[in-house]
Amino acid sequence: MKQTRSGSMTRRRLLATVSARAALAVSPFRINLLQAQEANIKIGFPVPLTGPYGTEAQDQVRAAQLAVAQFNDAGGLNGRKAELVVRDDKLNPGEAATRTLELVEKEKVNFVVGSLSAAVQLAINNVTKERGIIFNSISQSDAINEAADFSRFTFHEALNPHLTSGAVGRYAFSKFGKRVAFLTSDYAYGHEMVRGFLEVGKAFNIENLGDIRHPLGTSDFSTLLPRIQALKPDILCISNFGRDQQIVLKQATDFGIKQTTQIIAPLLSHASRVAAGPQAFEGVIGGCSFYWGIEDKFASTKAFNEAFKKMYDGKLPTDYGALGYGGVRTILAAVTNAGSVDTDKVIAAMEALKYDFYKGPQYYRKCDHQSVQSVLVIKSNSKDLRNSSDVFEVIGTDEPNETNLRTCSELGHKA
Amino acid sequence: MSWFQFATRHRAGIASIVVLVFPHIMPFTALAVNILIYGLYALGFNLVYGYLGLLSFGHAALFGTGAYLCGIAVVHFALPWYLAIAIGVLGGLLMAAMIGVLAIRTRGIYFAMVTMALSQCVYYLFYQAVDWTGGENGLRGINVRAVNILGVKLDFIDPLTRYYVIAAFVIAAFFLLSRILASPFGAVIEAVRENETRAKASGYDVTATRLITFVLSGGFCGLAGALQALHLSIVPIEIMHYDTSGIVVMIALLGGMGTFFGPMIGAAAFLMLENLVAVWTVHWQLIVGAVFMICVLFFPAGIWGTLISRGKR
Repeated sequence: MKQTRSGSMTRRRLLATVSARAALAVSPFRINLLQAQEANIKIGFPVPLTGPYGTEAQDQVRAAQLAVAQFNDAGGLNGRKAELVVRDDKLNPGEAATRTLELVEKEKVNFVVGSLSAAVQLAINNVTKERGIIFNSISQSDAINEAADFSRFTFHEALNPHLTSGAVGRYAFSKFGKRVAFLTSDYAYGHEMVRGFLEVGKAFNIENLGDIRHPLGTSDFSTLLPRIQALKPDILCISNFGRDQQIVLKQATDFGIKQTTQIIAPLLSHASRVAAGPQAFEGVIGGCSFYWGIEDKFASTKAFNEAFKKMYDGKLPTDYGALGYGGVRTILAAVTNAGSVDTDKVIAAMEALKYDFYKGPQYYRKCDHQSVQSVLVIKSNSKDLRNSSDVFEVIGTDEPNETNLRTCSELGHKA
Repeated sequence: MSWFQFATRHRAGIASIVVLVFPHIMPFTALAVNILIYGLYALGFNLVYGYLGLLSFGHAALFGTGAYLCGIAVVHFALPWYLAIAIGVLGGLLMAAMIGVLAIRTRGIYFAMVTMALSQCVYYLFYQAVDWTGGENGLRGINVRAVNILGVKLDFIDPLTRYYVIAAFVIAAFFLLSRILASPFGAVIEAVRENETRAKASGYDVTATRLITFVLSGGFCGLAGALQALHLSIVPIEIMHYDTSGIVVMIALLGGMGTFFGPMIGAAAFLMLENLVAVWTVHWQLIVGAVFMICVLFFPAGIWGTLISRGKR
């Protein structure tokens, strides 16, 4: 009796497992068939929806969806609609490469836009350039401009560390003094930023008091801050990001460093500032690629803000979100101009593009396809906030200028 | 002869047939390739964990060394792909020999800790060698466009071709591992796991058996790493991270430790679940975690292990 019972259990369990497997295996195929019939213009969008940059990534998706909706509302490409295929790259280059292979090989995307880390974008770029698919990167990296990683299919809509630290350095070194100390997150992002600051600092004869490194994901800076205070710097340059930045700024405020020293950071993230609150960020100066507040200056920013608010219940776009919009919008504009999704024609149209979609005039430099654009120097707001998104004040702007970038020959591109 | 005995005798052959039809039932080919590679990685790991009975927490170093050395051979020395794979396997063997010599005397939790510590040393070694490995940014440019096999030129960019080329190596590894386990040496490995004192009393050198098994495991993991490097055309530094060591433990447990197919089944279940759920919801970790807990609670012998024990009955 017991034997038969356990036998039937096995069979039932086996049946359930097999049918569940079959359902899992079959369903993606069906979705694929349906999509193939419509022949949309497909844009693959791998971003880290889960993990420490999830908030920023979800904002990128929202803004990218807006660009797609606008393109479709305007009639698409002779009626052919665009479609965003979003994938979670989990902030892991291996996962990003796998997902990009899926997007290219199975989803048959026409273009890829996305990424939110230097290593991830280089992984995606390596996959797309081998397969002749245009990739527009929307996160910071210096390496992607260099000849070794660049291909004619590679575009870079985001800023790069050289450009960002250059803008903040030029602003700060001319105003707050020459004695500079560095506190740096010990990985590529931090190293590239410090390299950029030291480069621009040469023109101002800054004195480098020392570079104190901390590991990524440090939760206590109280042993490092007294060392920095002892150096008596005019400027403390903190090159880290996300939660590290929130914690160190909070502790630096408590230690009273701000009374004698101007704190600067290469990048101030909208999301971090909102999360940490006004006190920690008070008086801190940094750079960013976009702030909604420049709508008084540019009609394109105003239009982008309004459209975003309309689509997402009055929410304003953030810095990283805007990049998602820019990255997708430029590709779709190039598709419209080229009148086709043919890769060569779209590349030519991208190179010819002089655009102002959300932050004033921009264009892609011919040699490395880096978007030449303005860098905003911002200061955290703490008083008289107009609304919950009113977190920064723009105190300076590095206008779009190729001379702020590393030269084409410096990057290894042949003339 | 029951179906079970038949299946056990021809385990490598049956696994090969499954591998051949596999990409056609998967949602996308790149996932099928990942499953093969992680399956092979887990197969190598299972040799130490399931058959020898030692829990290593440093196998990411073996997998990663295979990947990096294969990548470096292609990127910096422009070697042909088959030599690059050979160098990857050799790298896995050598790294396993080095870690093995230092760690093999320890047992149980200490073996896990020592292997983990050593693998972290290897992580930082590769992380710091930026000129060779790309450091934080990872190693890029492992671009193999075509592979020549006996004068036939195959397009390695084509997903199915890439799958079958990689599958050929995995199938060869299947047969080799099956042969090793069926050999007298394979019996000694299991004897050491079951009763160390008795194995010693029977005249077997326990330490040497352990070391050789660990080194062999390194060869399989190195091969898996080399194939991964060619498949993704990049080697991210994350491949050396202890996460990668942890994943393989999960895969082996899920599939069934100490079984021949278990690691493959585990890799398929784990990666498919993760990839499919991640498309539906950003809360994929919640669902994958719940499924893993259910498996540990109700199938302690793993998916394949449970099926086998039912089959034997």
